[in-house]
Amino acid sequence: MPEHARITRNRREFLCDACCGFGGLAFASMLAQEELRAAAVHPLAPKPPHMPDKAKAKSVIFLFMAGGPSHIETFDPKPLLNQLSGQKRPAEFGEAKYQFIAGDAKLLGTKRTFRKYGRSGIDVSDLLPRTAQCIDDIAVIRSCYGDMVVHSAAQYQLFTGRVIPGFPSMGAWVIYGLGSESESLPAYVVMPDPKGALEAGQPMYTNGFLPAVYQPTMFRPGGKPVLNLDLPHGVSVNDRRQTLNLIRGLNQATLQPGDTELAARLNAYDLAFKMQTEAPAVFDLASEPAETRELYGIGKEPTNDYGRRCLLARRLVEKGVRFTCVVSGGGPGNMQWDAHEDIEENHLRMAAQTDQPIAALLTDLKRRGLLDSTLVLWGGEFGRSPESQGATGRDHHNLGFTMWMAGGGIKGGQVVGATDAIGLRAVDNPVHLRDIHTTVLRQLGLDQDALSYLHQGRKERLTEIQGKVIDQIV
Amino acid sequence: MWLAGLFACFGLLAADSVAPLPKYTPAERRHWAFQKRAHPEVPVVAGAANPVDAFVYAGLKKAGLHPSPAASRARLVRRLSFDLTGLPPTPAEVAAFTADKSPDAYQKLVERLLASPRYGERWGQHWLDIVRFAETDGFEYDTHRRDAWRYRDYVIRAFNNDKPYDRFLMEQLAGDEIAPAEDETLIASGFNRLGPLRKNAGNQEVASSRNEVLTEMTNIVGSALLGVTLGCARCHDHKFDPFRQSDYYRMQAYFAAVHDKDVPKATAEEQSAWKARSDLIDEELKRIRAVMKDAPNAEKPALEKKLAEVEERKPEPLPALFSVSDDPARRSPVHLLARGDYQNKGDRVGMRPPGVLLPDGAAEAAPDAPTPRANLARWVTDPENPLTARVMVNRIWHYHFGRGIVATPNDFGRMGERPSHPELLDWLANEFVASGFSVKHIHRLILASNTYRQSSGAGDAAAIEKDPDNRLLWHFNRRRLDAEEIRDAMLAASGKLNLAAGGPSVIVPIEKELVDALYKPSQWAVTPDPAEHNRRSVYLIAKRNLRLPSMEVFDAPDLLVSCPRRESSTHAPQALELLNGALANQQAAALAERLEREAHSARQRVELAYRLATGRAPTSAELRLALNFLRQQAKLQQFALAIFNLNAFLYVD
Repeated sequence: MPEHARITRNRREFLCDACCGFGGLAFASMLAQEELRAAAVHPLAPKPPHMPDKAKAKSVIFLFMAGGPSHIETFDPKPLLNQLSGQKRPAEFGEAKYQFIAGDAKLLGTKRTFRKYGRSGIDVSDLLPRTAQCIDDIAVIRSCYGDMVVHSAAQYQLFTGRVIPGFPSMGAWVIYGLGSESESLPAYVVMPDPKGALEAGQPMYTNGFLPAVYQPTMFRPGGKPVLNLDLPHGVSVNDRRQTLNLIRGLNQATLQPGDTELAARLNAYDLAFKMQTEAPAVFDLASEPAETRELYGIGKEPTNDYGRRCLLARRLVEKGVRFTCVVSGGGPGNMQWDAHEDIEENHLRMAAQTDQPIAALLTDLKRRGLLDSTLVLWGGEFGRSPESQGATGRDHHNLGFTMWMAGGGIKGGQVVGATDAIGLRAVDNPVHLRDIHTTVLRQLGLDQDALSYLHQGRKERLTEIQGKVIDQIV
Repeated sequence: MWLAGLFACFGLLAADSVAPLPKYTPAERRHWAFQKRAHPEVPVVAGAANPVDAFVYAGLKKAGLHPSPAASRARLVRRLSFDLTGLPPTPAEVAAFTADKSPDAYQKLVERLLASPRYGERWGQHWLDIVRFAETDGFEYDTHRRDAWRYRDYVIRAFNNDKPYDRFLMEQLAGDEIAPAEDETLIASGFNRLGPLRKNAGNQEVASSRNEVLTEMTNIVGSALLGVTLGCARCHDHKFDPFRQSDYYRMQAYFAAVHDKDVPKATAEEQSAWKARSDLIDEELKRIRAVMKDAPNAEKPALEKKLAEVEERKPEPLPALFSVSDDPARRSPVHLLARGDYQNKGDRVGMRPPGVLLPDGAAEAAPDAPTPRANLARWVTDPENPLTARVMVNRIWHYHFGRGIVATPNDFGRMGERPSHPELLDWLANEFVASGFSVKHIHRLILASNTYRQSSGAGDAAAIEKDPDNRLLWHFNRRRLDAEEIRDAMLAASGKLNLAAGGPSVIVPIEKELVDALYKPSQWAVTPDPAEHNRRSVYLIAKRNLRLPSMEVFDAPDLLVSCPRRESSTHAPQALELLNGALANQQAAALAERLEREAHSARQRVELAYRLATGRAPTSAELRLALNFLRQQAKLQQFALAIFNLNAFLYVD
């Protein structure tokens, strides 16, 4: 049993749905029943956060930069690294273990130039000129670190808090904790990069041992992102309505009063029908004004794809989708931020695809008044090595790298922590990936300990052991 | 002791010292599951058909509850069919059982189903859940384990043949040690390598991945065979149960020499021909990589594509047995690892089962003692082992009733649930051991009870008040069919089910976008023969990084950790799957054709559909609704689709 199952936020609203929904069931007797039973009929009904006074964000958008973007080329300027370029790492910086490069590797300076932006005057590189315009809303966390230096394990840790597969992803935890504000859309959406697969595969996004109701909906590329949302070929809406009426009639014919389990199935059909009729309109980006589409870089390369997905993310948030992950990078390493061979070529290309859409997303959320309640998280599973791999590449690097947060009550225009003078190690105020999780949960009003699920004798949590909230930015 | 703990904590202990044997308090030893099994007297209770009933009825009586009346014959045959074979009964089977007035009709039905080859497919699937069977490595490459299906077939055979459970465990833990020349035992020992496996390119941390492999092997013995969360003691002494960290690593020591072994089944000529083909491709890959090194950036994407294409042409590996063997030369020295970190080595340990299950001071075996896993298996399967038999009979009970006597089948520790009927659990475990560990014997005992045969109606408000979760079994538990049963039952109803048994796994077509998002095309090479796509679900490929959406949505397990109990969630995507999904619509079309072919009036078609999908005739209200629909719409296929969306189809009661 989900120990954390709580009653719906608004029982009356739910009961009204249950009674007046498609077909109208006589649920009067339920009024007298335990409220928990309502949650059983409608498992994704919104639930109150553990800490209502702290809850600032209602939704999360995770801009996942797969493969590991370089902090050195984006948000963490290191003049000393340029001076030492071509030399071996001075001993005082300590040791690091990389996936590919060995002890004889030389430091590699960056070709990027940095400028201070906004009132806050935070440095951002010329790779991300548009994101830089939003810097006063962004809290740049320069001292992130994780435990793993290979993609799959690091991706599992980033998403699930564990370095092995089999645990629920943060999106699944969040909807387990808060339910969904949207009936016509999935609660937790992942929009993979259509260029292809990532190393950790599906298990990094999934519900793990949580019930399937908390699973992600993986969006497909194109105008029809949700599997099974379209009517089969040759079936009209009218046909479907009649079939649904038949199903309802036949199911009701044997339904006993007070049977919440089977009532839940009837409710699921109502929701399915709602999704089918209402969701396609949300996916239709053509209904957005031309100005907005241009803002996101839709209709031109290289921003079209990521721009479309970012705009879709905003439309989902607007409709109450709780957690959306928009992935940049997929397929072979160089189609991700995984710049082993040529940091210049790779990062110029990846940044060009994402910078404008991300800035547009922040701008658009803000002007619609959605940024306050939407936490945007940016980052990869790790950063990249100060040393070069080959002549021009950078290897994986988990000891110090940058992520950022904006919106959802996060105090922007700040820098959290620091890496050392060559960007090797988080030295000032280090922030573990689990601290990122803890902070995301806390902005949603979720308590990292209370958000637990008893699995095989252990109370499992996203943060496993206690993470720290990044106090400076909340 | 305290100092040693402190030092171990900082990884400061000299790595060649030997861990002392821990001690356990009397209170720790007193936990019910670690006690020897009792030999409880069977209570005398009116109405009991057998001792199972006697124990259950005694519990009901104490709580002032009463068993429910017997379920109807039509319900019983459907319940038993799904329970024992995972398939619905055919209308003829339902008719035959309802018409059979002989006193042993029910017993004959049980025997027929237990003897059906479908029985092993169903109960084998349960075991595959428990041991987190999959046919790929997981992690980055999710490499296909081409011969893992042989283990799946081994499990199915074992259940069908009622292989004694002690032998079944011995073969899986140590088949390669006890009979290294027999295919059957070699395949069984593939059990030791079923866990996910991380393979990384580059500076491979061999010690780290080896540590993960040993962890997988050790933990599964705890959760699957002993029903304890031994894995919790990997990083520190168990917080709730008396498993010390040294207990954990002493268990791990049994596996220290185990390495994967693929025993070739191809002839020498086949092997050399294969190598020649594979070498050619490797050379080509090398050439392309060399060109790529110096190619301008603009040409790189094209070359990458070429590289991928050539890689796709690599020949499939030759048949082999998916097995393991001990390699003393590569034995990993086993130490306590502070916080489970392989770089943080503490004391060395030898082999020993968890100390709380042994007399104080029981010696450990030397790390290099011969046939380590056979020794471990002998301890696990010793009739006196307090856990093994209890855990397995509890699993059997769990699958029959939807809830175990211990409701946490993988956790008999302090954090697990207490048994609802401790005497019954011991009585069944004693029967299990006395029968020579016969699983079918336990089925027979349970299925012969009135408790199993009672109806699932739960209308008694007073009883609901007293025992809302039905812990005491005052009625039978209705359950939703699981993912495999739903698919198999659709195929059975439509008449398309292909009952061919065994062999390499089948890959069914799925959405191209899904494959593209998760895999290289060669990782989802659809089985060419479409008739194969209608095989039972247990024969579909079990990949870790891409699971069938149609199964996942109905709580199919993730194949990464042991799954002792399927979740049964209800949500809108299930409705979308059953309304718009390819499988449901294809099978609805096939069912519609069948109805058209085999029945000749609308009324007959409705009746046949109900009999095929729900095991009963429609009620008059159902018949009226359905006929009304068919009159208006004349779309038999939509009616057939509706049938797959009925509670009466999706639930068994």
